[in-house]
Amino acid sequence: MFRFGTPLAGLLPALFLSRVADGLHVVIHRSVSRASFDGAKAISTNPSVLYNQAATPEDLADPALCEIRDLLYRVSGIYQMDFQFSFLVNRCRRRMKALNLSSFAAYFRYLAAPATGQDEIRNLLNEITIGETYFFRNQPQIDALCKVILPKVAALPFKQERKKIRVWSAGCSTGEEPYTLAIALLEEATRRCQDWTLEIVATDVNDDSLRRAAGGLYNEYAVRKIRPDLQSRYFCSEGSLFRVSDAARGIVKFARLNFEDLPAISAMREFDFIFCCNVLIYFDKASKQRAIANFDRSLLPGGYLFLGDCESLFHTENQFRLLHYPGATAYRKVMPGEIPGDAV
Amino acid sequence: MNPATEQLLNQRIVELGNLPVLPTVLHSLGECLSRSSENVDVERVVNLISYDESLAAQCLRLANSALFHHRSEVRTVRDAVRSMGLARVRDLVYSCSLPRLFANVKQGMAADIFWRHALGTALISQYLARRLSIKSYERFYLAGLLHDIGILVNALLFRERFHEVLRLAQTSEVPLVEVERQSLGFSHCDSGRVLANLWKLPEDLATTIECHHDPTIGGADPEMTAVVGLADSLCRLRGLGYGYYEAREFDLASEQTWKFLAAKFPAAAQLDVQGFTFELDEHAVQVKALVDAILSGSKSAS
Repeated sequence: MFRFGTPLAGLLPALFLSRVADGLHVVIHRSVSRASFDGAKAISTNPSVLYNQAATPEDLADPALCEIRDLLYRVSGIYQMDFQFSFLVNRCRRRMKALNLSSFAAYFRYLAAPATGQDEIRNLLNEITIGETYFFRNQPQIDALCKVILPKVAALPFKQERKKIRVWSAGCSTGEEPYTLAIALLEEATRRCQDWTLEIVATDVNDDSLRRAAGGLYNEYAVRKIRPDLQSRYFCSEGSLFRVSDAARGIVKFARLNFEDLPAISAMREFDFIFCCNVLIYFDKASKQRAIANFDRSLLPGGYLFLGDCESLFHTENQFRLLHYPGATAYRKVMPGEIPGDAV
Repeated sequence: MNPATEQLLNQRIVELGNLPVLPTVLHSLGECLSRSSENVDVERVVNLISYDESLAAQCLRLANSALFHHRSEVRTVRDAVRSMGLARVRDLVYSCSLPRLFANVKQGMAADIFWRHALGTALISQYLARRLSIKSYERFYLAGLLHDIGILVNALLFRERFHEVLRLAQTSEVPLVEVERQSLGFSHCDSGRVLANLWKLPEDLATTIECHHDPTIGGADPEMTAVVGLADSLCRLRGLGYGYYEAREFDLASEQTWKFLAAKFPAAAQLDVQGFTFELDEHAVQVKALVDAILSGSKSAS
């Protein structure tokens, strides 16, 4: 067995408070890059890596670690790849130290125990999801949207009539995701549907994140993955920082939204695409289930839901169809008359 | 395959001299290693490998490489087989020998890209078959490894034209098989079938090579063909493809081949496809490392 270490930079940890189903308030750190091999490499060469404590081969071969991974996947839908194991090792160690446990096996028992498990899984999730975000973090997802999905959607007769594309960035944090979508859609629209209206609604529960997002000012780290021609077209430098252009900001609307606020949620309607990346992982099964049902209602027929890289709708009740694209997956809402029964 | 295509391919083969011949050692090893692990005659495998000097050397080199954390040096083929396990030995035997046969294919797909896809499809075919609880799933490995062998045949027989086909597929982001059919009038499935006949491969392998892009279910072993076809698609979607972006949407649930397997194997309905996708990504990382290790070894050996 050979595995790859994944040092992840804990930069810009956007903290926000979120209500979870049991009524407790927990601190949540969001947005970490996962799964993209490319991303893992890119981050490891970043000089500002905060964590790089190597895991030993013995650690990585510990079967209890796989059990912890599988448990995390079952309860949260989030999956730690083999090559991310040393990251998982490190974060488990922190928790084990806090709990004074000496082996992964003991920690797994603690995580799986009815009395202690639920709180501890949340603690561990908080540990492993501290991170940062940046523009074009998930290029395969953007490629799937622009190269495969958008041409299909734009060709639908009722879309041709309305000439409008609406996107919801649900859990937009400090704005990198909705602005990325704005840039990608503006680029694609000039090719395909010039006279169409583009609208991106970006929501988060954190006022602080939303203020920063609306400002549209980013450091070099956040913009480092943007293709140079796009960077010069959609950003202007302000000292050492980069400001998103008016063209991109003009089509993004920011709003505060809590997923548990049902009246506000039910006003979110008629979207073609919903992006909800690395957000549902913080929800328990019941609240995740509610969020998914709401997304279904918010989408137009045939609309698409995109999740974070290692997230899935497995173990939830839903009528979405899972679709694969190169390096990405998406869930499509069924069309009228389509049988969801054979969806997987 | 239509008779005209078959005639054309056979004629090209005659014009150019022979296609690579499958060495006897691979025939015998293949037969040995396609059995389920408890029935493999380990002694015979060790002997067959030791027979082939360069195979034996590769075997030792890989057993001692960083891919396996061995504390002491592995000195004999027997130790190498024991320490790596039969599954790895099989990966190694095929993935070392088959590229050698096609070492003179200079144009067309880059060797590392082709063999990553081949080895990836081999592993995923076997893995998918096992997850579906198909009996003697070991057989699926070789079928996966050989399924695209026609690409190499095309690169040998139609150098410039095939190069052009690849370029067109890349720039238009269209699956290779479609561009082949449009530009050449046949595909790597047809030329693969011709090679399979030449090599006298068993009919289940031959029809899988011929029909893995065919949505209709049939042939000598429809389960094998369906599984390899799906594994091929999944590999191309998860970083083990032909090295270019294929702008396509893949709806597993509506694939005829999946419906066929799902109707036949109850385990298919239980499969968490999204989770399976994540597992594929782990395999992809390992396949890349393995193929890179093997190819860098064969370069330094030659």
